[in-house]
Amino acid sequence: MTLRRALSWLAHVAVVAIVLAMLMPVIYMIGMSFRTSTEIIEQPLGMPNSLYLGNYETVLASMPYLRSVINSIGITLAVTLMVAFLGSLAAYPLARRTNRFTRIVIMLVALGLATPPFVTITPIYVIFRNLGLLDSYVGIIIAFTALNLPLAVFFYTSFIGAIPKELEEAARLDNCNNWQIYWYIIRPLLGPATATLSLFVTLMVWNDFTYPLLLLSSPEKSTVMISVYRFLGNLNVQPDQLFPAAVLGSLPLLVLFVIFQRRIVAGVTAGAVK
Amino acid sequence: MKRSFSIYWFTAPALLVIACFFIYPIALSVQMSFTDFKGVGDANYVGLENYDRFVSRSRYMNAVWTTLKFTFVVVAMQTLLGLCFAAVLHRMPAIRNFCRATLFTPAMMSFVIVGYVWQFIYSPYSGGLNALLTAMGLDGLTRGWLGDPATALYAIAFTHVWMFVGYTTAIFLVGFANIPQDIDEAGRLDGASNWQRFRHLELPLLASSFTVNIILSTVGTLKTFELPFIMTRGGPDRATNTLSLEIVNNLFGSYKFGFASALSIIMLVLVMIVALIQNTYLRGREDNT
Repeated sequence: MTLRRALSWLAHVAVVAIVLAMLMPVIYMIGMSFRTSTEIIEQPLGMPNSLYLGNYETVLASMPYLRSVINSIGITLAVTLMVAFLGSLAAYPLARRTNRFTRIVIMLVALGLATPPFVTITPIYVIFRNLGLLDSYVGIIIAFTALNLPLAVFFYTSFIGAIPKELEEAARLDNCNNWQIYWYIIRPLLGPATATLSLFVTLMVWNDFTYPLLLLSSPEKSTVMISVYRFLGNLNVQPDQLFPAAVLGSLPLLVLFVIFQRRIVAGVTAGAVK
Repeated sequence: MKRSFSIYWFTAPALLVIACFFIYPIALSVQMSFTDFKGVGDANYVGLENYDRFVSRSRYMNAVWTTLKFTFVVVAMQTLLGLCFAAVLHRMPAIRNFCRATLFTPAMMSFVIVGYVWQFIYSPYSGGLNALLTAMGLDGLTRGWLGDPATALYAIAFTHVWMFVGYTTAIFLVGFANIPQDIDEAGRLDGASNWQRFRHLELPLLASSFTVNIILSTVGTLKTFELPFIMTRGGPDRATNTLSLEIVNNLFGSYKFGFASALSIIMLVLVMIVALIQNTYLRGREDNT
């Protein structure tokens, strides 16, 4: 029996080692960000000797990091508000009624969810240009809202479906109309769903590259990923610029992930399984 | 009593957004795909010329082929690896949450960052992978991973799998958790080994997890753009030139809006066909088990 326990213990250690090996590139990224170019070239696998912050100083001096963090946060907040409101509003009738109309709506939402962003990017670029929405916060907020909306509708539909109907019936006896029921009964119950949804939106707005790359052109409006991309460019990337910029670009979400790890993993998988 | 308007009006704003951002753009794409629109000026109707160009030049058919090959490699590796991790972690509750979160971490990072970091890892000049191979005494294997047409696509595919294997693992773990306990218990009482229980009891019951994982990763991978855009720009020798990359290059490299639209429509059709085939096959497989 002791042999068996020792073997089991050994197996656990081996699995943790393999899983941690998967994390190596992240650790590598953080470690390299504290080393000078010469150190990296001379010893590609060495760990930092000291907490050398020179790389970060250079990067922060030449990349509009803080400004783009504020942009990303602002866009995320606006998109979350819009998506939560429009999504839950549309989800309420979809969760409560089943007929030909709701089936058609659900089909259209599914079409939106399945359409690859590349299929619509050319026409959206043309439409935005004609409407003067290129390179504006309003434009990118509308575009991200549209991209996130189909998922939000499905998300809220299954959530509202689980809310007992009795709550509404009581309100209906008190002569509440549909809007009042949505606003005073349903909406206040959506907190947990909105919290999870906001994590999706944050992840998407923070990390998406294609839409802001094509729709935003001025540096002071760009999101974090666009700033990182514009700063690093495509050719001859220097490691002492690359790694600190990469750490700065991913740090906020990695911190968020450490805090909300369970909720994010559970939310993302639940969204997928449903 | 206040007049109550129909509850169906609540869907109107969302329907308007879907109409403006999905239905109208798709229609506009179809229309533009029959023109020579250059982004500015007039668009002349050119019939099927754009589609003809797509079919007649090997460059574009190769982009489709590259996209499909990339998707196949990623989906196969990611599903297999995710299944292995989930099967092992399912049996190790003590470390399950920690490992699931650790494997999930790369999915929190942006394609841009992952692309840059892995580009350096694969770099022939003081890149991490070659240095690691040298340290392990495997000098013979070192190469410029992204500079060699034979390895570039697989190197990017590996990076993609690294990013999303935690996602696949988490979905499979939900599948494992949904297997009724008494089934595993019965297998154990009948003296079935770990492997036998996995192969004959758990694997058939994971059919719906397979469906979700394969369809999600396929749809996600078919549109791959960022990693090859950052890591190789489609090179070397167009070995990593995916369909999405081709769309963006035609759009903003050469302002061929009409042709880019035709490529988008081809992509939409491709995604629909692949999803339809997979859905039919995988759902059918679920019903049989």
